[in-house]
Parts: sequence; structure tokens; C-alpha cells
Amino acid sequence: MTGIKEFIMKNPDGKYYKKLTEELARLNSELNAFNNINFSVSSGYPLSVKDNICVKGVETTASSGVLKGYKPPFNATAVERLLGKGFGFIGKTNMDEFGFGSFGLNSANPSRNPFDKERVAGGSSSGAAIAASIIENHIALAESTGGSIAAPASFCGVVGLTPTYGVVSRYGLIDYGNSLDKIGLIGRRAQDIKYAFDIIRGSDRYDATCIDMPKGSETQNPIRKLIVLENLLEHVEENVRDSFENTISKLSGLGFEIENKKAEELESSIAVYYIIAMAEASTNLAKYTGFKYGNSLGDFSKDYNEFFTEARDKFGEEAKRRIVLGTYIRSASVRERYYYKALQIRRRIGQRLSGMAKDGGIILPTMPMLPPKLSEAKELSPLQSYMVDMLTVPANLTGLPHISFPTDYKNGLPVGTQVIGAPYEEYRLLDLAETWEKGFRYRFAYNLGSL
Amino acid sequence: MDYKEFERLLKVCRLRLGEDEKEKMKKDIDEILSYFNEIDKVKGDAEPAYQPIDLPEQLREDSVIPFEDVDAILSNTKTYRFYVIGPKI
Repeated sequence: MTGIKEFIMKNPDGKYYKKLTEELARLNSELNAFNNINFSVSSGYPLSVKDNICVKGVETTASSGVLKGYKPPFNATAVERLLGKGFGFIGKTNMDEFGFGSFGLNSANPSRNPFDKERVAGGSSSGAAIAASIIENHIALAESTGGSIAAPASFCGVVGLTPTYGVVSRYGLIDYGNSLDKIGLIGRRAQDIKYAFDIIRGSDRYDATCIDMPKGSETQNPIRKLIVLENLLEHVEENVRDSFENTISKLSGLGFEIENKKAEELESSIAVYYIIAMAEASTNLAKYTGFKYGNSLGDFSKDYNEFFTEARDKFGEEAKRRIVLGTYIRSASVRERYYYKALQIRRRIGQRLSGMAKDGGIILPTMPMLPPKLSEAKELSPLQSYMVDMLTVPANLTGLPHISFPTDYKNGLPVGTQVIGAPYEEYRLLDLAETWEKGFRYRFAYNLGSL
Repeated sequence: MDYKEFERLLKVCRLRLGEDEKEKMKKDIDEILSYFNEIDKVKGDAEPAYQPIDLPEQLREDSVIPFEDVDAILSNTKTYRFYVIGPKI
């Protein structure tokens, strides 16, 4: 297995990329990892980009019919930085429409898990995680609002880093929830993610919420203590809980101190998160009016309201639901009751969680279940689907960095564990994952792009 | 949420749904809103956190940054000369 530096040293020729993209196209017809593949890539370390992150001149739709045909005239800052450091863009990855989903099903072409094609890949960065799982040398640029990096990384058996809110520029990201969105990375090895994270992080004049990490963030002491939040484990399926307990024993054997704690405040996280996320999403989706971004209706004889209504027919079911709920939550009559209250509770949860994370990494299973079958996931009500995010939402709601990495296999399916750090502790989390990788061999169903 | 309020919201949101879609969405929304009552169990006495992390206020010069590739922007719209065509108001 080669790392990024070794790959660059070997300098593969055009034949390598031709073979890789052709094999990808074949497998993509089964897994739906990519919305489009760049067959003209001819150099660089393979980089895929989630389809809600802009790549200049390449159709970028966030898997929504509303954006069909939209070709951004610019690169997102994270893309620009990676391409400037010799990465080679191989394609846009599939996702739940605008990031609305935890299974990768809210797309015209639902994603499938490389370990079992009858099962979901997780979402919303479904394609990014599948790409990392099937391509040996590759980094995926992904994005998380409520768990969209950790969830698919866990289901597809790869490593996903969700950085601290504000550490990676959001310029060129198609917004879902502005106070929640984080651009991050998915790959096969913590060291590859570290290499790419070094490049994408840091302030950007195009994003006023983006900052440099404090000096010394790269060289903090390793994490020694891990805190298990017992009360969040109550709703985790038994096979995943058994697996998690086994992982905790292994980590204890590696010298980590383990402490059990309870945090009742976190139990309202799902409600708080969805209230804020829907309020923000409903405003962000108002800009798709049918004449500015790609999908143009063309019949300008209609008045604005008719035109706007017709343009919005192209939203999927979940997007429409979030528009209605988000608009309601922001209504003058209930704004205090839902939106402001949720923002107040977010502060309490953030204080509690970051206070604990300063003492040690918070460790939890990433997902409460093994990847379900597509048919099973489709049967869930919207609320039941939201509840699946119960373990990924707390860190996302409060902007804390977290990493998910494979720690076990059950019934041939990967099980992921997440560790949450205090703000700007990305390097400590990556170091911890590297320590784990020294003693645990990850499995993959495919190895496209081997050298 | 009563049906009248739901219909008003659809109008405000500029969404048109078939009768079956409406029924399903109304049911889902009622279930979700009922779950949102979870927040009533927690005190709301803290300052609202508009951002998850306290970030420093960063201001930039209010200056024009020219975007060179204007044609690329306009290629995503229908245009007449150098105007973007939109619907009637």
C-alpha cells in the first residue's frame, strides 16, 4: 500500500489514469459512487470531490434536479488548493440531495455499499466514502452538516475526518446549513488525510468564518484518555455495542485510559440539530429560482410566482419537507419557541461537550447500526431516518472535530468508531487513528488504481 | 399544525404538491414537530449560539475584486445582450 508521497514519487503515466477511470466507470454502474467521472485526468494523486463542492467548468448539482446543468465558473477554495498541490481531479461524487440524508438514498441514483450491494453506503457523502473504499490511492473531498462524513465512512469501512467548524474554507460549497457545514476528507489511511488536511485548512479571504488553527495545533500531546458517553449507547444495536466494547478493550490494551460518563444534555441533540439545520436549509434553498443556476425553465411569459413555483417542482421529497418545516420554524409566531431555543441549547451542549473533550477524546460508535438494506432504509419514516444520526449529531451541532475509522467487521460489514476532540485537535485525532492502524488491518472489497 | 396553516406554508414556500403528497407530508411534519417538543425538557437560559464555535469577527476591505470570467457566469443563464433574462415581476 502506497502513501501519497510514494505515489507522487512513482509518477504514474497516462495509462494508469485511463485504466483507473475506465474501471471506475464500470463499477460505478453498480455502486453509483460518481455523478460524473473525469476521463481526461492524466496526472496527480487521485482526488474526488463531493457534488456540492464547486469545480470550475464541471457540472455541480449537489445531486439535485434544481441544479441540473450548472457549471460553476470557479473552484471552491479547498479544490483550488489541492489542485495547486498536484492532485488530479477524477470526478464528482454522488450524495443525498443537498446533503439531506443519512443513507445515500435521496439521489436519482441511490448509492450502494461496496461490501454488499443490497445495503446502503451511508450519507450524505455516500459517493465520497464508496470512492475511498474502492480506490487504493485516492482522497475524497467531502462535507458534513450533521454526520455526512462520519456516517458513510463508517458504513463503507474508511477513515473520515470532519474538521472543527471554520478551519476549512466553505467558499464554493453549496450551502445546506451555514452554521453547521464543514468541508472535510475521507480516505483509506489517516496519514493520507493528514497530508490533504495540511493543504486545505487555513484562512481564506473569500470566507469570513474561516480561520487559521492556533499555533502549535500540529504538535499537541497525544490523546491518552478516552471518554465513553454511556447514556448515548442505550439506543445502539446490540451487535454494534458488543463490537464497540471489544474496541474499547483493545484501546485499553494499547494504553489508553478509559472513563465512562453520562451527558443527559446531549439527548436533545437530534431535535436541536434538525431545528437549526432546517431553518438554515430553507433559506439557502430560496436562491434556486429557475433562471440563475443551470436549470433554466426558459418560459419567461409566466409571472415570478408561477415561474418560481415551477422551478421548485424539481426539488426532491426530503428537500421539500425541509423547506416547509424550516419556513415554519422561522415564522414569527414560533421562532422563539423553536429556533432561538435550539440555539440556546446548542450553546449548553457545546459547553458540556467541549469541556469534556478538553479532558480526553470522546469515543462512541459512529453509527447505531450496521448498514441496513436499501429496502429496509426506504421503509423508515423521515423521523426514524433522522434518529439514525444520534451519535454523529452532537459533534456536528457544536462544531467539534471528529474522526471515524474502521474498528471491526460484523457479518462481513465494517463497523466504525468515532473520536471527538476539542476545537483544533484534528492532528491529535489523526495521530490516534494512525496508532490504531498500526495494529488493525482495514479490509476493502475492491482495489482499483493499485500501482 | 392545522390544515389551514399547512396550506398557507405551502403557498409561502411556493411549493405545489399533489393531494397524496400533501397528505404524506402533513403526516410526516406533524410527527417531526411533535418530536421537536424534546427541547421543552431542557432549559433555554444560555445565550443563543449562532455559530457553533466562537470565531473572531473578521472584516475585509470593502473593495471590488474583479471576476475576469464573466462569460462563464452568464453561461449558466439565459441572456439578452449582457442582461440576464428573468421572469416578469
